Amino acid sequence: MKLGSMFKKTNYISLKNIPDTDRYVRDRRRPEVPEGLLKKCNVCKSAIITEDVKKGYYICPKCHSYFRMHAYRRIEMIADEGSFEEWDKGLSSGNPLKYKGYEEKLEALREKTKLDEAVITGKISINGSEAVVGVCDGRFMMASMGRTVGEKIARAVERATEQKLPVIIFTCSGGARMQEGIVSLMQMAKTSAALKRHSESGQLYISVLTDPTTGGVTASFAMLGDIILAEPNALVGFAGPRVIEQTIGQKLPKGFQRSEFLLEHGFVDRIVEREEQKEVLSKILKLHKKSEREKTKKVETPETEIKNELASAWDRVQISRMKDRPTGEDYIRTLFTDFMEFHGDRYFKDDKAIIGGVARFKGMPVTVIAQAKGGTTKENIERNFGMPSPEGYRKALRLMKQAEKFGRPVICFVDTPGAFCGLEAEERGQGEAIARNLFEMSDMKVPILSIVIGEGGSGGALALAVADEVWMLENSIYSVLSPEGFASILWKDAKRAQEAAGVMKLTSRDLKRLGIIERIIPEPGHLTINNLSEVCGQLTSYMDEFFDRYETMNEEEIKEHRYERFRNM
Amino acid sequence: MIKKVLIANRGEIAVRIIRACRELGIATVAVYSEADREALHTQLADEAICIGPAPSSESYLRMDRILSATVVSGADAIHPGFGFLSENSKFAELCAKCNITFIGPSAEVMRKMGDKAQARRTMIEAGVPVIPGSKEIITDVEFGKKVAEEITYPVIVKAALGGGGKGMRVAYTPEEFENAFLTAQKEAKMAFGDDTMYMEHFVEHPRHIEFQILADNYGNVVHLGERDCSIQRNHQKMIEESPSAALSDELRAKMGEAAVKAAKAANYTNAGTIEFLLEKNGNFYFMEMNTRIQVEHPVTEWVTALDLVKEQIKIASGLPLSVTQEDIKLTGHAIECRINAENPEKNFRPSPGTITDLYLPGGNGVRIDTAIYSGYTIPPYYDSMIAKLIVHGFSREDAIAKMRSALGEVIIEGVDTNIDYLYEILQHPDYQSGDIDVEFIEKL
Repeated sequence: MKLGSMFKKTNYISLKNIPDTDRYVRDRRRPEVPEGLLKKCNVCKSAIITEDVKKGYYICPKCHSYFRMHAYRRIEMIADEGSFEEWDKGLSSGNPLKYKGYEEKLEALREKTKLDEAVITGKISINGSEAVVGVCDGRFMMASMGRTVGEKIARAVERATEQKLPVIIFTCSGGARMQEGIVSLMQMAKTSAALKRHSESGQLYISVLTDPTTGGVTASFAMLGDIILAEPNALVGFAGPRVIEQTIGQKLPKGFQRSEFLLEHGFVDRIVEREEQKEVLSKILKLHKKSEREKTKKVETPETEIKNELASAWDRVQISRMKDRPTGEDYIRTLFTDFMEFHGDRYFKDDKAIIGGVARFKGMPVTVIAQAKGGTTKENIERNFGMPSPEGYRKALRLMKQAEKFGRPVICFVDTPGAFCGLEAEERGQGEAIARNLFEMSDMKVPILSIVIGEGGSGGALALAVADEVWMLENSIYSVLSPEGFASILWKDAKRAQEAAGVMKLTSRDLKRLGIIERIIPEPGHLTINNLSEVCGQLTSYMDEFFDRYETMNEEEIKEHRYERFRNM
Repeated sequence: MIKKVLIANRGEIAVRIIRACRELGIATVAVYSEADREALHTQLADEAICIGPAPSSESYLRMDRILSATVVSGADAIHPGFGFLSENSKFAELCAKCNITFIGPSAEVMRKMGDKAQARRTMIEAGVPVIPGSKEIITDVEFGKKVAEEITYPVIVKAALGGGGKGMRVAYTPEEFENAFLTAQKEAKMAFGDDTMYMEHFVEHPRHIEFQILADNYGNVVHLGERDCSIQRNHQKMIEESPSAALSDELRAKMGEAAVKAAKAANYTNAGTIEFLLEKNGNFYFMEMNTRIQVEHPVTEWVTALDLVKEQIKIASGLPLSVTQEDIKLTGHAIECRINAENPEKNFRPSPGTITDLYLPGGNGVRIDTAIYSGYTIPPYYDSMIAKLIVHGFSREDAIAKMRSALGEVIIEGVDTNIDYLYEILQHPDYQSGDIDVEFIEKL
């Protein structure tokens, strides 16, 4: 049965026994959806309640895509309440090309957006840490960079240099401002130059890439951060995707030029959700402040006896490769606090075979770099079984250079079968990358400690071990080549690896005797994540002693000491 | 008075509201999903507006579309029914912003009562009994023992991070306490890596007793007696009745007074329900407040001779209550059975499909609230309740007999239903003697 229009519709008559309330009639206003109550998400197209968006960091509550944010809202989002002191408000530098209609356009935008230009600058504090901040606002001519934008940023950076303050810039831009022609182009050089001076003075610069950051801004201050953060899915590139498509006559793949793409390609340190931006920025600022190591009462660490005398070299080779042996990541987690990982070599890729970042050792900021095997096969595939590519070494070097700039000691954990041996690795200069690390590490001004925790495979290991001291876990190995490779080169028979292990002198005790390493860290019978804390307890006190030794030395002494260490080998 | 109401719901409750509006001379607007084009509420209303595809997240839960439909149709009020957006405080708030009368309490009250912790605090302040519990976390057994004495045995020890029954133990006596506490704590440590516990008085074999209240905008609050909803499966009510066999006039007055106090403390307006757990010894505890019309409202309507939906509309129109507490007398006994399209033999699996033949009973004291008709296809997207059968008799015995007779007449062909299952409950000697609690179905 179809109901269709079978039902009789009632003719309405108001019932007499229900009195009308005057109040109800009087109070009635015509129902309407007030303007601005709802808005539409450009991505998922669903209607969303404006207030939810405002309270929720300007993120679509349905599909979680990010809306562009007004500059002042952004400052509210990260700054301590009332801490913002705006600089150079109202600064204007006119119409350099006398471009027709430009002044009127600026005036109209000022009226509409209540902004004086496409960037606001000033000083804020974030959880108590002071910083100079610049925030681009896309509503103002797509935050294109004209002379005023360049000038405000340059001035802010210069003041930061004078006042010895870090700089944080939230970037967003369509690129150069066409109406200002070549003058606009020069702003790229001007802002970069100001940032160079700021950097040379030893100060920290964090750029935060937001959607969209393109053109001249990408090719200047956006990409110059010591640390480059990005919001999820932000479009970041030099040439815009449409221009590229038109030029090459091809459709671009999904995700091209998005933050995740940049992270994978080594140009971004971290992607940070809006909800956590304040916390992450505050943590980074604090990690870059001088902070002394907590001095605990000195306990003479007795040289623990090495129990496992009887194990053969081959046994140790096998122990060093055991699947359940703790990985570099495990050591980082156990020995340090506040570890914050940073990614990318800024050239080509982020190599997952190397993990690096800043952490605290007893409260003191240190740079930590580890060759990372995985705990499972899946992880191992992702981490390429701990075999770094050139980009891994370049990331490590980049992070070490930062450690040098900010005066942080460097601690490296070595655990690799060797540098990755493959076509792509050669194409991108595996040899050059390793050589560069040896070259640069040799005269770093900060103390470097390298600890071999598993396999120390050849040049791939040495590229993280040009250190002031090299220590080894009792059952780790360190050699010019794998025993298999050694046997096959010298005896043309890889099966004689066991024998090779014996003659290669690759165990910790052999190497200590040869003077290649300074210290052996004793291990429990079967070292796994479960008894790692025993080893790390000892390591901590040894590391304390290490820092005590090197803290008394000046930069020149440290460099000289490291030079002599290898000069005598 | 409100002139035109948009009903933001579907099924029998939408039909129920449309009928009440018609009787009051109020025009109606139905909203429907693409799956409900042929639904009774769509056909019965004066106007009907499609608000999206079948899934409720794309239609009956889409606040933006419902608000637009209201504005476009010129309705001045929204009745949310139950389920869907009925207890969504954000929706109520948006209605207010759009000058639309939301037939229900204010957004603020809904928010307050929707937050369990805040509702509990409000009730404690108002002097409404709540289940006694530890005020702080407990980590040691001696302290726990002291707290257990305060909140009276039996007590239930629960893991602070708990869930899924892990780290939970009941102790009936002080002798059992140590063992129960330590076992629960050990389990909690194993399951959640944390052994902080808290404790509550364990309400043994409780009945689910709820009180219907009506409150106008001028501070007048009345209660309309109780409903006994102890027959429930997985917290889904199956059979409800009023009055409850367990309440003396004295206890009813006491609990009713507590319900009125609770509503007043919450600044409540419109129709609402205060749920209590009732112990055998007559102690009762506030559980939560439902800030909407309920499925089982017809049993109250029958014993009080009030139309609750009409009362809701009148209150929302700004009329004062037309009755005082003295006017409320419970007459006879009413029982409601929820008829679902589901298969009790296959773990109550929903059974959507086309109804090929249909016969529904009638006669003296029999009421059916439904939205099904012969040839109607029950869509798979929504709740499986397809009809409510309500009877009214002179006494409980009389009502049970009437319900059995009426259930026996129901013919619904084409889909599976729980009618036989309901029939069997009515045959059960414990049900017939009124000896029921919330574990009744579990123990069957």
